Amino acid sequence: MTESTLFTIAFALYVGALIVYFASLFVRREKWTRNGLALAAAGLVFHTAALILRTVVSRHAPFTNMYESLSFLSWAMVLALVVFSRKSRVPRLGPYLMLIVVGLVALASSPLMPKEATPLVPALQSYWLWLHVSVTLLGEAFFAVAFISSLLYLAADTEEKKERLDALSYRAVAVGFPLFTLGGLVFGMVWAYRAWGRYWGWDPKEVWSLITWFVFALYLHTRIVMGWKGKRSAIIAIVGFLAALFTYFGVNYLLAGLHSYA
Amino acid sequence: MRSAGKFFASVKLAIVLFILITLASILGTLIPQGRSAAEYAARYGGLSGLFVSLQLTRLYQSFWYLALLLFFGLNTVVCTLSRFGPKWRRAFGPIAATDAQTLMTLKVKSRFRLALPAAAAKDRIAGLLRSRHYILTESGRVNGIILLARKRRTGLFGSDIVHLGLLVILIGGFISGLGGRRADVPLLEGQTADIPRAAFQVRLDKFETEYYPRGEVKDWKSTVTVLENGAPVLTRVVEVNHPLAYGGYNFYQTSYGWDWDSPRLELEVRKRADPAFSKTVALRVGERMPVDDADVDHVVVRQFIPDFVIGEGNKVQSRSQEPNNPAALVEAWKGEERVFGGWIFAKFPDFGQGHVAGQSALAFVLKKYTAAPYSVLEAAKDPGVNFIWLGCLLVMAGFFLAFYWPPREIRVVLDEVQGKVEVTAGGQAAKSRETFQSEFDRIFDSARRPA
Repeated sequence: MTESTLFTIAFALYVGALIVYFASLFVRREKWTRNGLALAAAGLVFHTAALILRTVVSRHAPFTNMYESLSFLSWAMVLALVVFSRKSRVPRLGPYLMLIVVGLVALASSPLMPKEATPLVPALQSYWLWLHVSVTLLGEAFFAVAFISSLLYLAADTEEKKERLDALSYRAVAVGFPLFTLGGLVFGMVWAYRAWGRYWGWDPKEVWSLITWFVFALYLHTRIVMGWKGKRSAIIAIVGFLAALFTYFGVNYLLAGLHSYA
Repeated sequence: MRSAGKFFASVKLAIVLFILITLASILGTLIPQGRSAAEYAARYGGLSGLFVSLQLTRLYQSFWYLALLLFFGLNTVVCTLSRFGPKWRRAFGPIAATDAQTLMTLKVKSRFRLALPAAAAKDRIAGLLRSRHYILTESGRVNGIILLARKRRTGLFGSDIVHLGLLVILIGGFISGLGGRRADVPLLEGQTADIPRAAFQVRLDKFETEYYPRGEVKDWKSTVTVLENGAPVLTRVVEVNHPLAYGGYNFYQTSYGWDWDSPRLELEVRKRADPAFSKTVALRVGERMPVDDADVDHVVVRQFIPDFVIGEGNKVQSRSQEPNNPAALVEAWKGEERVFGGWIFAKFPDFGQGHVAGQSALAFVLKKYTAAPYSVLEAAKDPGVNFIWLGCLLVMAGFFLAFYWPPREIRVVLDEVQGKVEVTAGGQAAKSRETFQSEFDRIFDSARRPA
């Protein structure tokens, strides 16, 4: 099987998961939620295979252009979903997170995204590519979980639901924030030092990573020191994810800089 | 002084600073940084003067942005220190006065009686707590004993370690900014260059560009030799992502090009009237090269352009360093008479043979054009960088402690009542309360069970 076949199967399974998940919202059956998760997990298996195959064929890390990094980010989000579904007891996480995943995978599959694996330019030939991009995107996937649970928080009606969603948001940030710091900022600085001779250069992508970092630092400080919870916390987490999204996406298309690879 | 201390100890200041630094940073990504005055004038018109005077065009090095960072650093220090004492006492201090009623108000609690002497009951509970890696402190009280069991105490200091790390990073950043040196060192093959303020030299032995089969650049490799007092010390290949470290400097492969100012050229001289005539001369720019012929005495190349394009104001310029459209401005002389003059193009040999060329009996073909490749190495010295790595290490270690090493505390009061021991225990955990609850339950279920 080729990488694109595996990727298409994963896409189909994700769409299936999305449909089943949304059905679960209306029939309110746990079984449907479980089936949705099972489909998403099955998609994850094929998606993993697709990523591995692409790595083997292209002989470089599978996140060197927009198609590849979108694919990896959506993979990481499904992984985050699988990790958090068991413990979180938030049945609505699945449907809405899968909505983002399907959106990203659709974007990756769109004809606008060049899909052929191109040889690596000299600047990207480094094992730091693996560490920097994978850990950052993994962190951003957990921010996506915090984003969804925060949105759900704003829409939730009962105190019990709110409490669970608030806790889930925090747990997702507690995973995502250290990962994002490590991958995006620390590994980014180490790589920048090796490749460009300086660990920090105020490149727009660097600055936006720092901005994202500050937003989540704000989230933690208002929450832990000032005792903000609930609505205000949720809004900061939403802003944080949007900042992360802009760092990942917007900077490339809207601001000029050195990070013009993906 | 005290009010300044209070000002910097406030978390509200931290939050204001988070927001201000974030907004300022966003502004710096919206206004392109470090461009020329002309570019700003064209982009922002009358506002450009204001932008420059507010230092918005080099915002991240501006006085006020650095002041924000400095405030942020001070705030971090004072906040951390002002909270450190109580935390230290919580982690390592003696037992505060505790009674059974207070413990019963905690969420995680247990109360039961044991038909054992107080000392035996204490040993039993202490043993169970120790087996779960709790560290115990004991104090006697009237008719009873208090046990304080704590574990993962370092977890309390996670945020302090993160703050320390940030401070170290900030210090490193200032050191880099003040003490960092960087310079571009362009080198032709065989050339040697002095490194500013260093007691050694570097020589470029070889520079090569490697290509993928389909033509994309795979790598730039500079073979570099370090010389001390003229004697070679070591030879290394410098590539992108593989700098050479020597004598406190790092040498990075940053750019490359060809020395098109003095290319080696080959011209073929032809005659329109005589297709069989062909004569090739090798020459350099500006060099008068004799052609031993009745129609032409000598030729000269006035100018060479690797990637010819007519730019603004009809000026001839090179679009890039790549020889995409090599062109030479050629003149040919017969005595005092110019018999040919005009641009010739290697890739378009038939294209307009110049002004004079129309009437000229001669034609020229630019057959070969080579230039020595050069490599640009960046020599950088950054005395702050080790602070940065240390700071990053501290930040990550602090995160681990803060998020995944939650401290736990269990207090046990043992009271002798009617020949039995009444045990009251209460626990507190910063995080993952469910796991803590189950640990707590296991400990005290075992304690309660008859031996």
